[in-house]
Amino acid sequence: MINRIDETRKSFDEDLLRVNDHASLEELRIKYLGRKGLVSQLFESLKDVSKEDKRVVGQALNQLKIHTQSRFDEVRDSLKNKDDISESIEDLSLSGRTHTIGSRHILTQTLDEIKNIFKGLGFSVYEGPELESDYNNFEALNFAEDHPARDMQDTFFVTDKFLLRTHTSPVQVRLMTDKKPPLRAIMPGKVFRNEAISAKSYCLFHQVEGLYVDTDVTFAELKGTLVAFAKQFYGQDVKYRFRASFFPFTEPSAEMDVWWQPKGKEGRWLEVLGCGMVDPNVLINVGIDPEKYTGYAFGMGVERTAMLKYGIGDIRILFDNDKRFLTQF
Amino acid sequence: MKISLNWLNEYIDLKDVSLDEILDKLTYAGLEVEEVDDQAANFKNIIAGYVVEAKKHPNADKLSLCKVSDGNEEFNVVCGAPNVATGQKIVFAKVGAVIPNGKFKIEKAKIRGEVSSGMICSERELNISENHEGIMVLDPSVKEGTPVSDILGLNDVIMEIAITPNRADALSHIGIARDLSALFNRPLKYPEINLSESDKKSSDLASVEIIDAVNCPRYIGKVVIDVQIKESPEWLKKRIRSIGSRPINNVVDVTNFILHEVGQPLHAFDLDKLSGNKIVVRSAGNDLKFTTLDSKERTLRPEDLMICDSKIPVAIAGVMGGENSEVTQSTKNILIESAFFNPSSVRKTAKQLGLSTDASYRFERGTDPEITVWAAQRAAGLIQETGGGQILSGEIDAYPLKLKRKETGLRFARIDKILGYHIDEKDVMAILERLGFEIKKKTDDGLTAVIPLYRHDVEREIDLIEEIARIYGYNKIPEVSKISVTLEEKVDHSAFVDKVRVVLNSLGFYEIITNSLLSDETANRFGKPVHVLNPQSSEMSHLRPSLLPGMLTTISNNLKVNEKDLQLFETGKTFEKISDSKIESFDDFTETEQLLVALTGNAVRTEWYDKDRQQDIFEMKGFVSSFIEVILPKVEFNFIASEEHSQYLEYCLSIKAAGQEIGYCGMIKKEICSLFDINQDVIVFMSDLNILKQVPVPKKSFKELLKFPKVFRDCAFVLDAGIGSERVIEVIKEHGSNLLHNVKLFDIFQSESLGSGKKSLAFQLEYYDFGGTLTEEEIEKIFTKTIKAVEQKFDAKLRGA
Repeated sequence: MINRIDETRKSFDEDLLRVNDHASLEELRIKYLGRKGLVSQLFESLKDVSKEDKRVVGQALNQLKIHTQSRFDEVRDSLKNKDDISESIEDLSLSGRTHTIGSRHILTQTLDEIKNIFKGLGFSVYEGPELESDYNNFEALNFAEDHPARDMQDTFFVTDKFLLRTHTSPVQVRLMTDKKPPLRAIMPGKVFRNEAISAKSYCLFHQVEGLYVDTDVTFAELKGTLVAFAKQFYGQDVKYRFRASFFPFTEPSAEMDVWWQPKGKEGRWLEVLGCGMVDPNVLINVGIDPEKYTGYAFGMGVERTAMLKYGIGDIRILFDNDKRFLTQF
Repeated sequence: MKISLNWLNEYIDLKDVSLDEILDKLTYAGLEVEEVDDQAANFKNIIAGYVVEAKKHPNADKLSLCKVSDGNEEFNVVCGAPNVATGQKIVFAKVGAVIPNGKFKIEKAKIRGEVSSGMICSERELNISENHEGIMVLDPSVKEGTPVSDILGLNDVIMEIAITPNRADALSHIGIARDLSALFNRPLKYPEINLSESDKKSSDLASVEIIDAVNCPRYIGKVVIDVQIKESPEWLKKRIRSIGSRPINNVVDVTNFILHEVGQPLHAFDLDKLSGNKIVVRSAGNDLKFTTLDSKERTLRPEDLMICDSKIPVAIAGVMGGENSEVTQSTKNILIESAFFNPSSVRKTAKQLGLSTDASYRFERGTDPEITVWAAQRAAGLIQETGGGQILSGEIDAYPLKLKRKETGLRFARIDKILGYHIDEKDVMAILERLGFEIKKKTDDGLTAVIPLYRHDVEREIDLIEEIARIYGYNKIPEVSKISVTLEEKVDHSAFVDKVRVVLNSLGFYEIITNSLLSDETANRFGKPVHVLNPQSSEMSHLRPSLLPGMLTTISNNLKVNEKDLQLFETGKTFEKISDSKIESFDDFTETEQLLVALTGNAVRTEWYDKDRQQDIFEMKGFVSSFIEVILPKVEFNFIASEEHSQYLEYCLSIKAAGQEIGYCGMIKKEICSLFDINQDVIVFMSDLNILKQVPVPKKSFKELLKFPKVFRDCAFVLDAGIGSERVIEVIKEHGSNLLHNVKLFDIFQSESLGSGKKSLAFQLEYYDFGGTLTEEEIEKIFTKTIKAVEQKFDAKLRGA
């Protein structure tokens, strides 16, 4: 009798391993725990056991019952969901199971859009360090040591010779030092400005720098390229203008404005990027002959562009990373 | 900088040009007009009127019914003022006018049954005084119809112009007029100076000695005696007010006027307060304390340039005068200073003092050493005009370092090469000449231009090309419609990180971007941070050595708004010092691109098909595995328990591939979470993207598809609960022969019934052979061998055996 109990337990355990759905579980229940199942049959047989053995066998039988029942319950619970589903399968109005797809930050999305347009125009993408030397950030770019032009960009200094780059332009210097023309690249990245945090300014933002150096690069081509960009990015009917401006590393220098017309409000010109022809001094600093080569450079702020495009009024929300914000884009 | 259009009109005739055209041209030429206050526009449709008749309103005691003429037509107007009377000249706001005070629009109305077409205004309504006792009554000689802005002299246009730091020459009305003269190709007129000077010479009463000629190449002194210090005349006060300044007295106003007229900062000394009647220009030396005329004591550096008398300093050169030599009500005799200082010297001094004045702003950008004499004479003339006295003849002109105009060549072909557009020689010449360049030699190929000394920004050919282009107009240079694409190698540094982002998105993670600057305390908890010398605040004084604090802050902020279930990632640079020594080169710190992925809250919130499930390390392991399988296809990797990062990780699994750690994951310690007010588990995965990027990835190649059936075998073992499942799988694989291709753990079960400290692990083994169908015997042999190996190795028991 004890042997039969042991065998039943073993075969139960083995069968249980193969249970993978409601039907096979039910089969198992009928086989072992049903009214005429193997366990019940064993209990039936208890009456045939001799009196002196009855206590031992009864105990073993009880253990078997507890074991089979509890293992059965566990497996049944684990299959409970499947049960629910099979019961409700006829209700096709139930919602589908959700699967989350995340998103890139809106700044990354904007940057990607800019990147893709310029890649289509034959530009490479280069990156450079954020903790830069004063030389690459200012000196090589024709910012004289104590010229007021340095006040245009409030700088976080790490030492007197190292700083957090104030623009992506030092990547230009690195690129032109490492490689020879023709060079056509954009250089996106994080830049820092030592300004108080407010709705309009943050201590860091993202820029995309552009550079093209070759034997016959002209201001007219710079304009053409930027207009092509603006049309793709802001729409074919974008209204734009170029104004003279000043950057130590370009000459002539310009700023590009686009006409911004919010619905139901007064429109206005908004500056979207700075640009110009690479200053001969910069070319000399990186060992390129300015008589033979000319080049253009431009730079634009990603935050500003994204805020404009999506109607975001406060720059700080971009860096709060509130899920309710992140999931909007 | 504020520029008054009326004032500009003294130097260039633009009366026939529309305001919009002036504003556009200035802006396009790089003198960006940021704001415009068109005073006359505020008084549109408000004119002088004549009260033809004023009688009592038939239906109201306190109102009058008037007939008002604008010179052409008569209007019925109801007026409530007690002082209105027949025959008066008054200020009449016609229908359509907007009343300056209150900004309400005048419309035709019926007042107590009588039509009223306009309004008679009080001074307060015009915003010119607080007087609202009655209407404003004008002089009888005023002609009806005259715009009230002309009568009040409020017909100026004040422009706020942003001047870029290179354009020192444009920091005055004449400077702006000079650009306009080139933009409109019209002459620039300097005011004429006709001085009646006494026989006595300036040099008889005062002397100038320059000791530091490098920092003060030129110093002009001119003396005016017996001057009366008094209120300025109305025309001068008006000019001073128009640029937003407050009139003080005639002498101060004149110097201020000339600064804004021509850009030359002047200073007026009380000559009688100058010891020895002498000016000495020298560095401060031992005189390190000085009280400026705003009564503040300033501390100087020995090298700061000072204007001194024969004994002590009387002014900080180019920055601010001293209290000790200031012109006061009792001043009689004046020494006018008109100097040229070294821009860099003034900049250093002003910066060091944290003091920026109208004078230092101009000196540090560079003034015109050649205008100094003219400015001194102009000042003397105006001081005499406004305060009487005698102008002593001549100037004391100390000019030890004569500054010479430089020359540069310009090749016409170079203009075409830079701009990609041809500008006519005639236009080129006109532009340069209007801007004050003297054209010396001109050939068919080019010219030589002499550069005026006020153009500190022009030295080279390219500088001339910029001048030509910006005056000619960038918008007139047509943009190309096609570009050539060069075929050099294309590079995309960001491609790898872009892929990382997309894969994480597809796994359900949102990207965040956090601040790279942290507080000292936070930064130091997570590494050896680099600090900023001049932070905005102590909250942002150190560069992040890790992405963790930014992530934990983000999680914390989201919890505050009840967003508890988060799957986030950030990629970005982290910075660490290599040693404690000062950063002197790029070798003294590291800048690495990191990836941080974080899970917190629930993976599943109860749905009709699923139960609540919290995020845990297994969720993360799953994500990481999928991530690596896509990012590093076919690269074998495994998770190995590690003791690293225990300062902030509860437990850590190091992820190894190609013999190196490519990242790690684990759960953030409770005490770290609580620092950020996070009260739920946070599981993270971190990786150095530079390392990840460089893991060699096997080339993808096609593998034949399996043509024969797979065979599955299940088995379950009872073994010690402490044995890791991965070890068991390893042993199974080791003994499974090359026919075993997959092992899946499909059940874990722990119960007292198995014996204490025991657990059951159930596996499914997948066998197949690319060469043929497997036989029962083959499988049985390997399967039995494998089971034995596991039993022996772990002292395990096969269940159901």
